[in-house]
Amino acid sequence: MTPRASRCCIHAVLIALAVPTLLPFVFALNNSVRSTAEMYHGYFGMPQALREMAYCGWHALTGAEGTVRIVTDTKQMLTLSYAGACGWHARAITKNYVQAWTLLRPFVLNTVWVVIWVALGVLLSGSVAAFVLARFSFPGKRVVFFYFISTMMFPGVLTLVPSFLLVKQLGLLNSYSALIFPMIAGGQVFAIFVCKSFFDGLPQDLFDSAKIDGAGFFNLYWHLVLPLSQPVLAVVLIMNVLGTWNSFLWPFIVNTDTKYHVIASGLYVLSVSESASNMGVLFAAYMLASVPLLLLFAFATKPFMQGMTSGAFKA
Amino acid sequence: MPRTAMHASWLLRLRASLACYALLGVPIVLLGLFVYLPVCWAFSKSLFEYEVGGVSAFIGMANYIEFFTADPTTYVALANMLVFTLAAVLIRLTVPLIVAKLILSIPSERWRHVYRVVFLLPVVVSSVAMLLIWQGLVFSHQGLVNELLQYLGLGALRRAWLADPATAMGAVIFIGFPWIGGFEVLIYYAGLSAIPQSVNEAAQLEGCVGLRKFLLIDIPLVLSQLKLMLVLTIIAGIQGFQNLLIVTRGGPGYATFVPGLQMYYNAFSYQRFGYACAIGVVLFGLIFGLTILNMLYFKSSEDIQATA
Repeated sequence: MTPRASRCCIHAVLIALAVPTLLPFVFALNNSVRSTAEMYHGYFGMPQALREMAYCGWHALTGAEGTVRIVTDTKQMLTLSYAGACGWHARAITKNYVQAWTLLRPFVLNTVWVVIWVALGVLLSGSVAAFVLARFSFPGKRVVFFYFISTMMFPGVLTLVPSFLLVKQLGLLNSYSALIFPMIAGGQVFAIFVCKSFFDGLPQDLFDSAKIDGAGFFNLYWHLVLPLSQPVLAVVLIMNVLGTWNSFLWPFIVNTDTKYHVIASGLYVLSVSESASNMGVLFAAYMLASVPLLLLFAFATKPFMQGMTSGAFKA
Repeated sequence: MPRTAMHASWLLRLRASLACYALLGVPIVLLGLFVYLPVCWAFSKSLFEYEVGGVSAFIGMANYIEFFTADPTTYVALANMLVFTLAAVLIRLTVPLIVAKLILSIPSERWRHVYRVVFLLPVVVSSVAMLLIWQGLVFSHQGLVNELLQYLGLGALRRAWLADPATAMGAVIFIGFPWIGGFEVLIYYAGLSAIPQSVNEAAQLEGCVGLRKFLLIDIPLVLSQLKLMLVLTIIAGIQGFQNLLIVTRGGPGYATFVPGLQMYYNAFSYQRFGYACAIGVVLFGLIFGLTILNMLYFKSSEDIQATA
């Protein structure tokens, strides 16, 4: 085979693999703008509202005379101009999303609140601890490092039930604290590990000269360590946000009150509740739930991918 | 050095050490409270018939004995766990590696980047949403699989894939097909691109190309990545039950029931926290034992790498 032909082959195979990888999401996106009736009518096919909107929009643009009759969900007959019908169909397309958003909004707000506190806690406590461990010597340092790292040995399956009992005993069930504190505790180990190996690699001369200039701990941390370690902190931040945003089991167990559901547990509860009969709204909710992470991925592709490869060493 | 100065420097050191411990206080306390205390509780409470609000009685090893001899779901769950784990190992050690190799053999850096991004996209979609999409859109009664079968004239094969005892397990394993939407591709890609150019050139000169090079040179050189994925996959296979809780809840019947779910139901449906802790300890023991075994074996595989 010529190199060119083999290259084409590779592209063909990869595209053939990429299509089924993304296909379920494409179908979910498609169905998120279709009505339940349409979905039962046929699995494939463009959303009817989108087709009609394009049709009416085209006629409105070309200045065609005439009216369109629309039968609404409540069996009312509407007679609209082409432009008006185009707008009506556009609203029909977004209808599922509007409905999904009203269902999701409290969960999104809860998740954002938790994500912010967990990320702040993990970044602060992780980077300070890593700095102390990497740059200061004190008796018992190895013991402390071992104490931190050893926690990675205990899998979630061992601690899940007793952690629940602990949180229950502390009276924290159905609260933000039940999510925030355990998640900081779990998340900071990865932060300490990644930050420490980064700080270990910084040249000691930097710290020595800063100390000669009279910098204390706070100055060293704030003016030297933090600016230098932005890339590694970005990785820690992104992996932490990704983990918190997608966490399902722990929030599902400790916060059974609808008021404190996060995105993942909320989506699951929605999918088994009576609103599940409206499939289009559910699919719209699934899509909406992924938008923030997609944005994060789009704007921070590089640290995201770095984190994915370094995150594997977490376990 | 005069005695007083020595004394002063000792005091200074003590003060500095105390400051260090003060700065480490938050993680030390949080990990003690939310990791080490639950770990201790897992072991201690597994020896009790522990019910929240009720009386808890010390029953020794009775929970463990019940798990291994009396609970009828135990061996069903362990067998299912074995199948799921083996399937996951087979999948995650092969498909993503091949894809990573294919991506790396594209000369254009831009296209390599595009493919890596595309195959990472499913990670970004909320994992619960991904599972619910597969459940509601691919395997449901009016789902993609059934519609495709109908289209191909195989309508007789239509079924509720996740609710049929004969197909539930296969359908669960099939979720995520073609199983490359994940960080595995990136791990293998990193490993493969770390192979020194000199090795690749030497192979080329010796006429070792294509499949032969992949099998004889690439795979031995990414052995550490393969080992890592093996460990991660086995650990996830032993303790994972979140996905099953979402798509099948262990059903239909016990067709997709695993020990993690057994633990979950005993704790949160039957309120048998002591027994649930015992199951957690057994699973931890399994993971711990396999990790130790792997560490012993890991050394030997590194030796192979060094001599290769």
